[in-house]
Amino acid sequence: MSLAAHSKFSPVLHLGQGLSWPARIAALVILGYLVVALTAPLWIPYDPFRIMIGPRLAPPSLQHLLGTDQVGRDVFSRVVWGSRPVLVLALVTTTLAVGIGTFIGILAAYWQGVFDLLVMRLTDVFVAIPPLIIALLVISALGNAPVVMISIVAFIYLIRTARILRAATLAIVTEDYVTAAVLRGDSTLSLIGVELLPNVLGTAMVEFAVRAGFVIVFIGALGFLGFGAAPPSPEWGVMINEGRGVILQSIWPVFGPAMAMAILVVALNVLTDGIARRLETGHQGETA
Amino acid sequence: MRRQIATQLALSVISLFLVSALVFWLVDKLPGDTAELVLGQNATEEAVAVLRERLRLDMPLSQRYGLWLGDMLRGDLGDSIVAGRPVIDVIGPRLANSFALALLALAIYVPVGLGLALVTAVNRGRPLDTGISLVVLIGMSVPEFVIAIFLMIGLAVVVPVFPPLALIDQASGFWDTIYMLMLPALSLCVVMTAYAIRLMRESLIQILDSDYVRMAELKGLPPRRVLLRHVLPSALGPALSVTATNVAYLIGSVVLVEMVFNFPGIGRQLIESLVYKDFPVVQAISLILCSIYILANLVAEMAILLLNPRLWSPT
Repeated sequence: MSLAAHSKFSPVLHLGQGLSWPARIAALVILGYLVVALTAPLWIPYDPFRIMIGPRLAPPSLQHLLGTDQVGRDVFSRVVWGSRPVLVLALVTTTLAVGIGTFIGILAAYWQGVFDLLVMRLTDVFVAIPPLIIALLVISALGNAPVVMISIVAFIYLIRTARILRAATLAIVTEDYVTAAVLRGDSTLSLIGVELLPNVLGTAMVEFAVRAGFVIVFIGALGFLGFGAAPPSPEWGVMINEGRGVILQSIWPVFGPAMAMAILVVALNVLTDGIARRLETGHQGETA
Repeated sequence: MRRQIATQLALSVISLFLVSALVFWLVDKLPGDTAELVLGQNATEEAVAVLRERLRLDMPLSQRYGLWLGDMLRGDLGDSIVAGRPVIDVIGPRLANSFALALLALAIYVPVGLGLALVTAVNRGRPLDTGISLVVLIGMSVPEFVIAIFLMIGLAVVVPVFPPLALIDQASGFWDTIYMLMLPALSLCVVMTAYAIRLMRESLIQILDSDYVRMAELKGLPPRRVLLRHVLPSALGPALSVTATNVAYLIGSVVLVEMVFNFPGIGRQLIESLVYKDFPVVQAISLILCSIYILANLVAEMAILLLNPRLWSPT
């Protein structure tokens, strides 16, 4: 899991020099989330699942940094532990969506013809369906096992990524070096891997950052609606859903997870903006 | 031009058909035998058989789909399994509530969102623009249900200005209704406004930098006149397009925001009906929401096509 994350993010870190300072801070924040998720057992003062570890609905104190929830669980421990399901689900889903979407997009632009037409028309149709409705229906029909949720969310975003990567590839597929490789008789796979993919990698990276933000929000929303991760899980959407019922008695059970999610997605968006701007100026020069 | 419009229309119709088939098929796959579910474990075989026939559960899927689609197109949405009443009676009031909520959200969003977009474009690069852009970034990133939770914490719990739950059915009179709707409407507005500023800012800057606006300025027209007579008409297309896209966006967020505020709208009805496996209601609501979504996106595309003279290619 962490390896996949690294290989995806290392090219991003390479272009760190040109990033604006808000984007660098955002990158640090995201790195912080990843480190905390990986080393979660070191940070939690209490068992995140143990009930009545403190009084019910206690406000923040030195014993309970973010207070306790309605069954006396420590909110801080739960939020920290919750970074694991949130980040694992987001990384797996985004990697699937952007990986498959990129492959289909490049293939459509390279093969063109019937395959391209099929991909475009199919994506036209699926883009026209409201994502939340289709996800709710599919999860209701097939159950809320993580596999089902990851598959449907990945599918929703891969059709969008495929269209963007197709457009990016179309712009370079007529270049001389591609024609030369075709004439040389390179196989389709090596052509995609050696000539096409490296040249649209920037677009794919921006896509990954953009989609990761959407995926985190979407999976959180599913958890909040009761169609995502199952209740004892400290996934932040689930925590917000559970705490919503007692918000008039104490805001603390929802405050922690809501803050954790808000900071993460804002950081992701700032970083995405930074990367997009960096790639733009890097490739085309400053546009006035 | 005409071809593009025809293509868009055709695509929308095809999408709608596919959506209806998908909705029907998915709802059909929902676990559990509906007839047994409704009548309970102890139902007599006869009762189950009668209900199965009424729900057409004995027919093959494709035949049932055809009959169902025919009913839908005639406006017959069937009966709710849980309520035992026609679906239209169940979702009618809910639909009206959601409509009122969406209307209030749009009524706040149009002047605020589009006005702020103009402010950022005119003041681009200045601290005001940077400040608004920062808020926009937060509004765009943070999901609507989290924004709704923060608004509820801030304006209903810590500083109790608005009611925390939008129990609109207990509202007395017009202003009380608006008062109850305020927090959910504001939650929807934040995201729509952020999105509008982000998209409109670019196109407004393009218009402000265009030759004819420069020309009008150089002629010595007062800035207000330039804005009203030259900038705003050109901005109409993008503005309508962004607004239509926002209406499409409302489809998903209305479900979430209604759940936060316990608002008796169509979105919460969908979630409840999914939980209670009330298939006819789920089918009807999904189809209605998908239709609005497709229609709104069609309007967004059309607005760009029809209101931009440069795209009127001579055919």
